[in-house]
Amino acid sequence: MTALHWLSATDAAQAIARRDVSPVELTRALLARIEQLDPKLHVFIRLDAEAALDAARAAETEIVNGRPRGKLHGIPVGIKDIIDVAGLPTTCHSKILLDNVAKTDAAVIARLREAGAIVLGKLSTHEFAIGGPSFDLPFPPARNPWNPDHHPGGSSSGAGAGVAAGLFPLALGSDTGGSVRNPASCCGIVGMKPTYGLVSRRGVFPLSYTLDHIGPLTRTVADSALVLDAIAGHDPADPASAPSTARDFGREIGCGVKGLRIGFIRHFHQTDIPAHPEVAAALEEVARVLEAEGASIRSVTLPSLVEFAAVNRVILTSEAYSVHATWLREHPGDYGKLSRQRLLPGAFIPAGVYVDAQRRRTEMIAAIEDALRDFDVLLCASSMDPPSRIEDAAETARTYPRQARSPFNVTGHPALAMMAGLSRDGLPLSVQFVGRYFHDASLYRVAGTYERATEADKRRPPIG
Amino acid sequence: MDKDLIAALAEAAGLDKALAEFPEDVAAAAAQALRTAAAIKAPSDPAAEPWPPMRVGIGL
Repeated sequence: MTALHWLSATDAAQAIARRDVSPVELTRALLARIEQLDPKLHVFIRLDAEAALDAARAAETEIVNGRPRGKLHGIPVGIKDIIDVAGLPTTCHSKILLDNVAKTDAAVIARLREAGAIVLGKLSTHEFAIGGPSFDLPFPPARNPWNPDHHPGGSSSGAGAGVAAGLFPLALGSDTGGSVRNPASCCGIVGMKPTYGLVSRRGVFPLSYTLDHIGPLTRTVADSALVLDAIAGHDPADPASAPSTARDFGREIGCGVKGLRIGFIRHFHQTDIPAHPEVAAALEEVARVLEAEGASIRSVTLPSLVEFAAVNRVILTSEAYSVHATWLREHPGDYGKLSRQRLLPGAFIPAGVYVDAQRRRTEMIAAIEDALRDFDVLLCASSMDPPSRIEDAAETARTYPRQARSPFNVTGHPALAMMAGLSRDGLPLSVQFVGRYFHDASLYRVAGTYERATEADKRRPPIG
Repeated sequence: MDKDLIAALAEAAGLDKALAEFPEDVAAAAAQALRTAAAIKAPSDPAAEPWPPMRVGIGL
């Protein structure tokens, strides 16, 4: 039998519904795992064990009394510490907000609780979702369970490391330039950035208003769809929330990819930002697997990755500076060095350049929309390199921007990153799939086919 | 970017304290901003409007 800490949320929910496993038993097993591994991995900023056990006991009572709440009833989840959980501090991993206790749940937390999920606690992030990995903050940075000498990606770093290490089956992160998909890529799990506007951002500390997305990190594709089912939906209190009624995001998992047209954006990793040879080989292997499953694969050309990255950077830096300007003026020393270095450029970007970036954005959206008239899904790199050693600041600074995730924050298209094998050094390699607006389900169809064909969800890091 | 110009821009932005305590971070930020801004190509269509800045599937 699978150890409780390696159960997927889908399997755990079924076991709970059958009363083969109780929510208390599952929560206790995960708390024991956290006690064993968190001192090495630094996943948690704040573990709320007593509240989690109380919620597990309540879930158990409800289930025994025949009052099931939803598809996540009794399933523990970890929350990136920029997302408000009522009664807990939202520190953003920063000295500046150490005492910032949330009065109410963020919209996504309220929706997770409605579905029956149990909040375990708050997870490590890069400071304000931008400055990291760093060693000059109030909490240490999370580490990669595949090799704790390496970084786990970010900024949703605790979310990626904790899911991969079996500390919890589900986590919520945020993604402004790739911060859900980066840890998913580095930790060998599934990270989903849904269509912009599909998931409410209310109660989440902003990094960049027009680029921020909230999304799940999970070990399986089906679990990702399960979480998206719970958290998606219109929220009139979020000005960017879309009036979408899209639901049942896992409905196409198991349909296969026969006849699906997949556009492979090879120039992203071949010429725009040349990838590590093992990454390039892994991407060709993904294409081969999907072709063998019946998809047609053709190369497609989009604007240069370098230009997408520039538009993302101007928008992100300008909007983030607007969020942080007062604190940067009044107490710049309370930020970690990386945050200060990444936020201050916003003071020097002319307004006209920000507007130009937004105007170029509309042209880039049009380019992706054009491509998605000829293709059902796009395939491309996520990270161009395996994760570097966490204490090698120069190599981390070199490799972090070598990625193909930010284009889809610029355009808002749904994008999913997942494991595409291991490097010779035993570190995860990754692939990214991109879909049409509100066709998030099509990504789960392709990712689910690849997962089944390669058993990507069966690989476990050599820890614990 | 010229050191005096960086100082003038930083002071105009109210970043006197950051300039005094972390001059190297402010200088690096100014250089980074210059590189980033230079990488933006002018939009090809002068009528391309940026508003709303982000709302998917509407007006595109």
